[in-house]
Amino acid sequence: MAARNDYHRGFWAEGVPFIWISGMAVLVLLAIVIGFLGLIFAKGAGHFWPAPMAQVTLKSGSSVMGPVMETEAIPHAAATRSLFKIGNRDVYGLDFRWVDDAAVEKREYPPDAAVIERSEYGDMHGFIQALREGGAVTARAGPDFHPLLEKKIARAAHLKEEIKKAADDVEHAREPLAKLEVDIRLLEDGSEAGTPEAALKLEKLNAEYDALALKLGDAITVPEQRIESLRKELDAPTLEVALADGQVKTMPLKDVRAFYLPNRMGLSAKAGHYLCKVWDFLWTWPRESNTEGGVFPAIFGTVMMVFIMVVIGAPFGVMAALYMNEYAKPGFFLNLVRLGVNNLAGVPSIVFGIFGLGFFIYFIGGGIDRLFFTDKLPEPTYGTGGILWASLTLALLTVPVVVVATLEGLAAVPRANREGALALGSTKWQMLWNVVLPNSMPGILTGVILAISRATGEVAPLMITGVVKLVAELPVDAGWPFLHLDRKFMHLGFHIYDVGFQSPNVEAAKPMVYTTTGLLLVIVVTLNLVAILLRNRLRKTYKGAAL
Amino acid sequence: MDIPMTAPMDAAGDVAVHVRKLSFYYNQSQQALYDINMDIRRQKVTAFIGPSGCGKSTLLRCFNRMNDVILNTRMEGDILINGSDIYKEGVRLEALRKRVGMVFQRSNPFPMSIFDNIAFGPRMRGMKDKAVLGEIVERSLKQADLWKEVKDRLGKSALDLSGGQQQRLCIARTLANDPEIILMDEPASALDPISTAKIEETIQVLKEQYTIVIVTHNLQQAARCSDYTAFFYMGKLLEMNVTGRIFQKPSVKDTEDYITGKFG
Repeated sequence: MAARNDYHRGFWAEGVPFIWISGMAVLVLLAIVIGFLGLIFAKGAGHFWPAPMAQVTLKSGSSVMGPVMETEAIPHAAATRSLFKIGNRDVYGLDFRWVDDAAVEKREYPPDAAVIERSEYGDMHGFIQALREGGAVTARAGPDFHPLLEKKIARAAHLKEEIKKAADDVEHAREPLAKLEVDIRLLEDGSEAGTPEAALKLEKLNAEYDALALKLGDAITVPEQRIESLRKELDAPTLEVALADGQVKTMPLKDVRAFYLPNRMGLSAKAGHYLCKVWDFLWTWPRESNTEGGVFPAIFGTVMMVFIMVVIGAPFGVMAALYMNEYAKPGFFLNLVRLGVNNLAGVPSIVFGIFGLGFFIYFIGGGIDRLFFTDKLPEPTYGTGGILWASLTLALLTVPVVVVATLEGLAAVPRANREGALALGSTKWQMLWNVVLPNSMPGILTGVILAISRATGEVAPLMITGVVKLVAELPVDAGWPFLHLDRKFMHLGFHIYDVGFQSPNVEAAKPMVYTTTGLLLVIVVTLNLVAILLRNRLRKTYKGAAL
Repeated sequence: MDIPMTAPMDAAGDVAVHVRKLSFYYNQSQQALYDINMDIRRQKVTAFIGPSGCGKSTLLRCFNRMNDVILNTRMEGDILINGSDIYKEGVRLEALRKRVGMVFQRSNPFPMSIFDNIAFGPRMRGMKDKAVLGEIVERSLKQADLWKEVKDRLGKSALDLSGGQQQRLCIARTLANDPEIILMDEPASALDPISTAKIEETIQVLKEQYTIVIVTHNLQQAARCSDYTAFFYMGKLLEMNVTGRIFQKPSVKDTEDYITGKFG
């Protein structure tokens, strides 16, 4: 009897099996999280590390050079093959090539093998032989060659900047002329075209145009000439590169962004190179249909969109919850609203996207265009996808989370605090504003945190409300009115989809997918951390308030 | 002047709260108070005693209409405070609650600084002048005998104070409103004996200026610090008289049983 009793207590009463099962559940969860993050960061983090350049001579006599990306067993055969990133897309057509390991005669790591980053066609792999200027060789591979080359590349970058500045000057100087041109064109093609008054006006405008052009003369021609001479200097130097298979290629130096010799780099040089590349990744624009370069506009777009969403969506959700919890009469209708809000969270996000497209873009945006931007129609201003509409759509998508969290936060405010405020002669609103709302702030922030997490990872509704593959301008810039909420934007989630599945160059895109995913995760975590820190600070303020 | 059912009250002192034929219902039909008639004297301490659930707190909360917050309650009868009917239509609750302050059983300081807690009431009525607020805070804290302990940390969170200090802070917060009547709902029931003694001392000082109604489960406390005592049982006011009479020679059997510890 006693033994049975002990067994009963020890095993089932204390729930040993359930403790084990729940412990196991946590373990599996942990494994999933660690495995997932590990995969992403392991695959993504190595992308920028300069891999050694292998040159293999095949038994057939040809030669292939590039870093080995992976080695795998050939299906149904007892052999392996390796994937080389051979670069030189303009020459070979493909960046990557599988080589059967059995067909390799020898593999070596030539110290002079160079990776040349170009603004087009991806990397070039080869041996830099000479720098030419206008046909004549100015420098050959030798001891001082590489520093000279670096200087030349820097000079070319500087020249490009100068040309851009000069071009801006020209455009700026031409502004009055451009305005006149528009007026003239309107007269020529507009509804009044052909009437005698129009002809008269046209003549006057043309005369004005000629006079202005004469007056502006130097202001335009001087920078134009400068551009001409700068271009000449920029176009002159060319680089002679010998490829692994013996071909010699000549390319204009202005297309070279940078070059490095991975087989000569020590660990510190590699680390420096790595950090440089990471920096570039974070702060520069994408190139080569997003498979190279950085993701800065996507980072900016993602963060800004989340920011606008929180600024608009959070107060909206808090207000709605406040009314529901404090003012609305409890009963059937309120329960219906609660049910509706809770179930809103289960609506597929693409449906929100379609709603955003129909309501925000076509209805509201179209209405704004008809009211305020009539002169630009039929070209839409707000009547097309943009960061504002995408943010609003996401705000709608995440508002249920904020509402539910706020309702819980409000309900958790101790009655003693409410009564204390009322007993001091405050109105209900004063009580809510001064005591209840600050007290439920931690709960509200929990809702905001959840909303941020959900919104940052959401892609489907964005695809039809304003996300694009590549933007020329950020939604914030120095041009009036600084904040361009009508602009389309880039988003990291969409960027991942685009690079991974829409890219013409799948192998080149693969590491970018991992890297970008890792970055997106880092951003989600960072945004959340900010909110969590804020919440913890508030919690400290309100600790013990419940007593 | 109407005479309460039991009381041969001494001298016709003026009446602060005049309760007439008051009945109170929760959930529309569950009656909590039955036909209460009583007068509460100005600048005296009146204690409400009785077993749990006898309706003493409910009656107290009628005086500043805190029961309005609770849904589905109903009250019949009249309460006149200094002659004016507080349940008349058009009475502003904020103004009423400024006149009739309340201290709760559990101290409920707001999660703000000590200063902001005390200045809460005046601020809600639009007082912005920092100097005036400062004077109000100092006066109130002194009245509640808390000034010496907190004068150097007015900007610190009120939640860092001890339980007794928090309750005195709540008293000071009520005093900052310059009320006419202070309602105390078991103000010391959650406090240790020393803090309780301090609160009682404070009450003795305050009654010089304010009318105080205190609900208490502690009979010694009622005996020590009140001038009048009302005994409630099952929603009815059984007896009300000067405290000495109630404790020495109660006229109702139930009162005697309660104060001698036979039930309750």
